[in-house]
Amino acid sequence: MVHSIAHSQTRAWHHHHAERHRRAWVLMAGVVAVAAILIALGFFGMVTWSVLGNAIFHTTYRLVLAYAVALALGVTIALLVGWSPLGDYLFPIFDVLQNLPSFALIPLFIYFLGYTNQMIIFFAVSSIIWPILFAVLTAIKSAHNDLNDAATIFGARGWKRIPYYLAPLSYPAILTGSIVGIAIGWEAVIGAEIITNISGFGAFIKGADVTGISQGAIAGMLAILVIVFVVNRLVWAPLLAESAKRYAE
Amino acid sequence: MTLVLSRVTARFADEKKNSTPTLKDISFSLPTGSFMSIIGPSGAGKSTLMRVILGLMEPTSGEVVRNFSRPAMVFQNYALFPWLSALDNVAFGLRMDGAGAHERERVAREKLREVGLERFESHYPAALSGGQRQRVGLARALAISPDFLIMDEPFSNLDTITSEALKADLLKIWRTYGMTILMVNHLIPDAIELSDQILVMGAHPGRVEKTISVDLTRPRDTRTAPFFKQVDLLTEDIRRTVSPS
Repeated sequence: MVHSIAHSQTRAWHHHHAERHRRAWVLMAGVVAVAAILIALGFFGMVTWSVLGNAIFHTTYRLVLAYAVALALGVTIALLVGWSPLGDYLFPIFDVLQNLPSFALIPLFIYFLGYTNQMIIFFAVSSIIWPILFAVLTAIKSAHNDLNDAATIFGARGWKRIPYYLAPLSYPAILTGSIVGIAIGWEAVIGAEIITNISGFGAFIKGADVTGISQGAIAGMLAILVIVFVVNRLVWAPLLAESAKRYAE
Repeated sequence: MTLVLSRVTARFADEKKNSTPTLKDISFSLPTGSFMSIIGPSGAGKSTLMRVILGLMEPTSGEVVRNFSRPAMVFQNYALFPWLSALDNVAFGLRMDGAGAHERERVAREKLREVGLERFESHYPAALSGGQRQRVGLARALAISPDFLIMDEPFSNLDTITSEALKADLLKIWRTYGMTILMVNHLIPDAIELSDQILVMGAHPGRVEKTISVDLTRPRDTRTAPFFKQVDLLTEDIRRTVSPS
């Protein structure tokens, strides 16, 4: 803990955040405990765990790969557009592209890439990229004029402006854009899997009908809930806390 | 002369051509090694003038002659980079200049020591008080060995005690380095205490009303009768100039 009379990270702040963190883990432990009890009571007796595990693995790795590509592309494009004087002309074009309903474009992806792993991943990239790109662009465009001027006066000009000023300036936006992007990504990957039916959790739950959902689908949803929670607590929450600490006004 | 402005007019890009410009017919010169304050009401275009002087904004007409090569600026709202520690903020300009890591750190530590913040080099701006942030801003400006320093109301967000301490440090630094300083000031006593000349601006449009020389000998004792008299006279003079009614 930093010791400064002006430091906002007081003991009370740390205690509050630690308490929130603890409550989240307690809640998830409760969910896992309930699931374990249900398993022990035979509620999930019909589930073929290896098939379910394989399905969730496929969905998860497609999402991770799609996120990595969307992150690299989204941040690069946003930094270049934010740095360029032509950026203001490109913003409206991105606005229109972003508003196209993503699932309406699936026939295009299927036409060019077929019912394949690559199709699902590229389709997910096309959905995940927008929250990241817009978050970074907005962060750059809304930066305080004084900060922009300070960067210019102290030498962050030309190409140097991107790695030494625009990229670190955008870090909190990259985080929040990533969190939103991944949430959209789950939807995109599972939706594409339902449509293509090749593998993954989407294909696994495709058989769910209006009379009810299968035990496998419930088990799968619980498993995905646990994955999302663990990633949120172990990856995003600490990064967000550190970002909030550093970038606080 | 470090700086000469001749009939500079400036208008923002979205302002119509026949509307009142932000700055109109600004002319003044700044002798090398001197300390000038700019005083004026809100809307006088003081911050715009700073940006024109530094080349961050092109004037619509007129001429700016810049006889400086290494300008630096201290901002009213500090403008520290939040992702960098105090040490790295101070070293930022040196890093952009291509200085090696060892040299950057050595100079940055020296400047932080000069402003009394050697114990805070690993602190991030969010963990610093307003006064500490402003000192880091000053150290960042000094680190690049500027020949011209612009300060935009550097004390306006600070309490009185912190301002007094920072003013004393600033005068010491100015005497040590002999650089030219142009400061936007919102307090007349501060302007008189610090400056050789005071530029009085009017608003709507921003324009130079008059330039006043401060003839008090240095060091200036702010608790003496001559100082108070000078403050009274200049305050009345500036008040009549800016609001003649």
